[in-house]
Amino acid sequence: MWFPDNIIFHLDLLAVFFLAVIAVVSIPALIYSYGYLKGTYSRLRVCMLTVGTLLFILAMAMVVCSANLLAFLFAWEIMSLVSYFLVVFDHEHQQSVEAGLIYLVMTHVGTAFLSVAFLMMYHYAGSFDFALVKSSLPAIPLAVKHLLFLFLLIGFGTKAGIVPLHIWLPYAHPQAPSHISSIMSGAMIKVAVYGFLRIVLGMLGVVSVWWGISILLLAAGTCFVGIMYALLERDIKKILAYSSVENMGIILLGIGTGMVLLSKQQFSLAAIAFAAGLFHLINHAVFKGLLFLGAGSVYKATGTREIEKLGGLIKRMPQTAVFFLVGALAISGMPLLNGFVSEWLIFQSLFSAAGALSAAYKIFFIFMMITLAITGGLAVACFTRVFGITFLAMPRSQRAAQASEVALSMKLAMGILAAGTLALGLYATQVWQVLIKVAEVIMGNNALSLNTGNIFVAGSVLPMPLIAGIFVAVLGLVYLLVRFAAGPAKVTKSPTWDCGYYGLSSRNEYTATAFSKPFRIAFSFFFLPQHRVEKLRDSYYHVSSLKYEVHTIHVFKQYFYEPIVKVIFLVAQRIKSFQMGSVHWYLGYILIVFIGVVIFVLVR
Amino acid sequence: MLYAFLLGMIMFAYSMVINRRVTALIRSFRLQSLFLALLTLAFAYKEGSLEIYIVALLLVVLKVIGIPNYLNRLSKKINIDESLGLFMNPLLSLVAALVFTFVSVLFGTVVLRNQDPITCISFITAMTTVFIGFFIMVFRAKAITQIIGLLTMENGIFLLAVAIAGGMPFFVEIAIFFDVFICVIITGIFLYRINRLFTHIEINRLTELRG
Amino acid sequence: METAFFIFQVIIMIVISPLVSGLMRKFKNSLRMRKGSPVLQPYYNLRKYFMKEEVVSEHASVILRITPYVVLASTVTAFLFVPVFHFSNFFQVTGGILALFFFLALGRFFLVLAGLDTGSAFGGMGSSREVFISSLAEPVAICAAAVVGLKSGALHLSAALNLTSTPVSVVIAAVALLLVVIAETSRIPVDNQETHLELTMIHEAMLLEYSGRSFALLELSAHSKQMLFFGVLASILWPLPVTAQSGLVIYFWSVVWFIGKIAVFACMVSVLEVMLAKMRLFRVVDFMGFAFLLSILALIMAGLGV
Repeated sequence: MWFPDNIIFHLDLLAVFFLAVIAVVSIPALIYSYGYLKGTYSRLRVCMLTVGTLLFILAMAMVVCSANLLAFLFAWEIMSLVSYFLVVFDHEHQQSVEAGLIYLVMTHVGTAFLSVAFLMMYHYAGSFDFALVKSSLPAIPLAVKHLLFLFLLIGFGTKAGIVPLHIWLPYAHPQAPSHISSIMSGAMIKVAVYGFLRIVLGMLGVVSVWWGISILLLAAGTCFVGIMYALLERDIKKILAYSSVENMGIILLGIGTGMVLLSKQQFSLAAIAFAAGLFHLINHAVFKGLLFLGAGSVYKATGTREIEKLGGLIKRMPQTAVFFLVGALAISGMPLLNGFVSEWLIFQSLFSAAGALSAAYKIFFIFMMITLAITGGLAVACFTRVFGITFLAMPRSQRAAQASEVALSMKLAMGILAAGTLALGLYATQVWQVLIKVAEVIMGNNALSLNTGNIFVAGSVLPMPLIAGIFVAVLGLVYLLVRFAAGPAKVTKSPTWDCGYYGLSSRNEYTATAFSKPFRIAFSFFFLPQHRVEKLRDSYYHVSSLKYEVHTIHVFKQYFYEPIVKVIFLVAQRIKSFQMGSVHWYLGYILIVFIGVVIFVLVR
Repeated sequence: MLYAFLLGMIMFAYSMVINRRVTALIRSFRLQSLFLALLTLAFAYKEGSLEIYIVALLLVVLKVIGIPNYLNRLSKKINIDESLGLFMNPLLSLVAALVFTFVSVLFGTVVLRNQDPITCISFITAMTTVFIGFFIMVFRAKAITQIIGLLTMENGIFLLAVAIAGGMPFFVEIAIFFDVFICVIITGIFLYRINRLFTHIEINRLTELRG
Repeated sequence: METAFFIFQVIIMIVISPLVSGLMRKFKNSLRMRKGSPVLQPYYNLRKYFMKEEVVSEHASVILRITPYVVLASTVTAFLFVPVFHFSNFFQVTGGILALFFFLALGRFFLVLAGLDTGSAFGGMGSSREVFISSLAEPVAICAAAVVGLKSGALHLSAALNLTSTPVSVVIAAVALLLVVIAETSRIPVDNQETHLELTMIHEAMLLEYSGRSFALLELSAHSKQMLFFGVLASILWPLPVTAQSGLVIYFWSVVWFIGKIAVFACMVSVLEVMLAKMRLFRVVDFMGFAFLLSILALIMAGLGV
């Protein structure tokens, strides 16, 4: 009954695409782990970690391949649990255990919603099989469909890190060993998107235009909140984790646009929007994987993740710096790399949605474009900050000054991913053709009415090889012109201008906190920054030392989660009074219930 | 004949309620189990089923001989004083037991309409036994009474199964016996440990363990 | 032939861009009743910088060295998305104007890194402020571009040239874009090109460690970027007499017409610059907020079909 014809797994283009995403992230991560783990952990623990990682990857692949709600849930749960153990792998750090707890709670809230939704689907379909569920779903009452959508959104949204369910992501991702962070950010949260595409879009379809709109609104919020917090964070891996939140928002902008267009019968534009979202999905997998591996290299070399303690690493770890720069450029959407192509495509699909729909939608979609533009601008700020503070100028601590380049396997892994970002950018047209086919799978029957020829006209990708060629040609030309017009460069080395103090040190450098200060002030309505200045004076005129503290209030934690936790604890306190500590009372409760049941039967 | 056995069971259930001493309680339990075993034999004879004979035999071995002996040895070993530590005096307990019987009767008449009287009375006896087992667990302080209460409940459920359903499937029966046996041994070990640790086994004094 | 025209166009744009800066400076000075430096002064400056030896900070890395080339190359590439005095832009793809903003962002990315690279507090300060202002300006620019795109039917500037009349919403969007141009070209209410006062400078602070030919390249990119923005504004606001036909004579006239348009913008910006005072950094938020409001207004009007 549960597994008719034993179809538990099957593959279609969508599944293959996500398998490719998982593989693209996981394989370099595994290569990387060889060098990364060596010398840090004992052999036994390395072995355990590797087995765990493989199991994790396998579980993700199982989720993507499953053709049965039960199998899906089973694999999903394995994925969650194994990743939990990977997060708390450094269990001697208190932070890891706390992060693991938050992760475990959040992920199980999500799974609970998923389970309920799946059981509801089973109730109506009488089967867990994807195909049977899909065929019986049109008969479901509308209200139930809305409820299912909500539950699935919460369930998958928790894993995907949609604001305000993103809370676990910045805790859990940084605490895991870096190659695990890379897989989690690169692949695991994408699996949630897969679930959403497969089950919401593939089975329920788009019933109401409001589904798409709510996804878009959530996505816009996710983008904005994610990048804002990334901009203020000082832990390099936390920055990357918050930026993952942001990028999930961008991916969902594409998917939400597709959903709105689908419900408005604009099929070819919808296909473009879905494909744009998927393009950003694979791009994010590649460059976020790269960045996490880069951050791991920095951590391995210096022993700290605090960017305020880093600096000058480009001279000590040149290859890592170049790879990280490639990742930073890609994630900021800089031209020639893959982030540019997909962000541009999402802009483009938002605009074409605005062009195709009526007045209110026009304004709405342009607003989404504005959100994406703000996000893009802030992402540039965020990643120039990360790269600039971490790799440039002078080292800000002893450990950063003594860092050395990492092992070959780590560089190799980063190199593969860096090449991937470049390749996905340059071969965008080819990738795009594949993605349109994947988008057709998502759209199911609606894809039949697609005019495939039309798509390539409307959504044709920028001629990336040509643009890249021109850019490189101009670069070369400028260099050669300057070289021949003005002769070879006459360069004198000298210290940076220090206003005549003759003692420029790393303490004079701009810090990461200072770098993000304008944003902290300008967006103070959101960050609610608090600062405290403490002056120690010798006399009225002379301040001998000064302590400046600044911190921001995490609105979601403060105003969303803490009240919930408070209520839960309050209820728990009340319930606790039932816990008398006496076995007799407990037995008495059972007796009372027992008699109650008897009386219930009698009365009936 | 069957009625006599049932009467014996319910009488010893009542006697458990009014017992004040551990040895007396164990003896009452032993005798109740004996009557249950006899009853099972009678049913086996009536149904002519080999499986129920075996079950009856097991009942005798375990509940009439094995477990009561073990409990006796245990109570000697840990040197508890004889009193059970009553939360409710015997008279009031007896009233409660009668109320349970009354509830069981009501319940029995509602659940089993138009059944033959033997089934009906078996049902009432069984329910009363379960209730009384529960009652003993709740209103007696010593940990050893929890074991006996549980076993008494089990007796009631067993009776229910034998009288109404003609016994459970054989393997289930065996499994339950095994379960009960293990349960008793483990609780016994726990008792021993608790006694060693706290020098008493009065469960109401373990309140400080709660979170 | 077409390609040759495009290359020619880009070269002309870059070559005359310092001239526009010089003209603006001259015009500003005459408004202030000063004599001012010669119109060709930017060219003299560039020649001087090119010939001078370069002093490079020993704390800096290779980023500092490659940045000028990357910035200039990205600005030049961005020109290919603007139909300047030709009917079409080089890349005939929709969304070209977005690509333009992305290319400018690439230059900015490297410039900001270069500011951080030397370890000087000024550089970091300049970088921080630059990304701050540009991240405020970017949404306005995109919104204005989207409004123009909505009215003209596609997100590239050669489509904007097809508009036979200029709708109100496009005019408002263009005003918003003008404010963005002021911010992006570091002009007065936001930044001041003419001063090196530590506490106020933004763009100049990032370039503080540059000298010699690197500095010349960056100056040239700044001039070209300004030219590029004027070109964008020109094609949005007065698209009319650009022709679809090709031919040398027509080409010549469109060049002249284009220079005329640019001159008008240069004058407008100069007048604004003379009239206004430099703002505190956090007042810039209000300034950009005003621009944002304008662009939203334009958007709503465009949405309603005005």
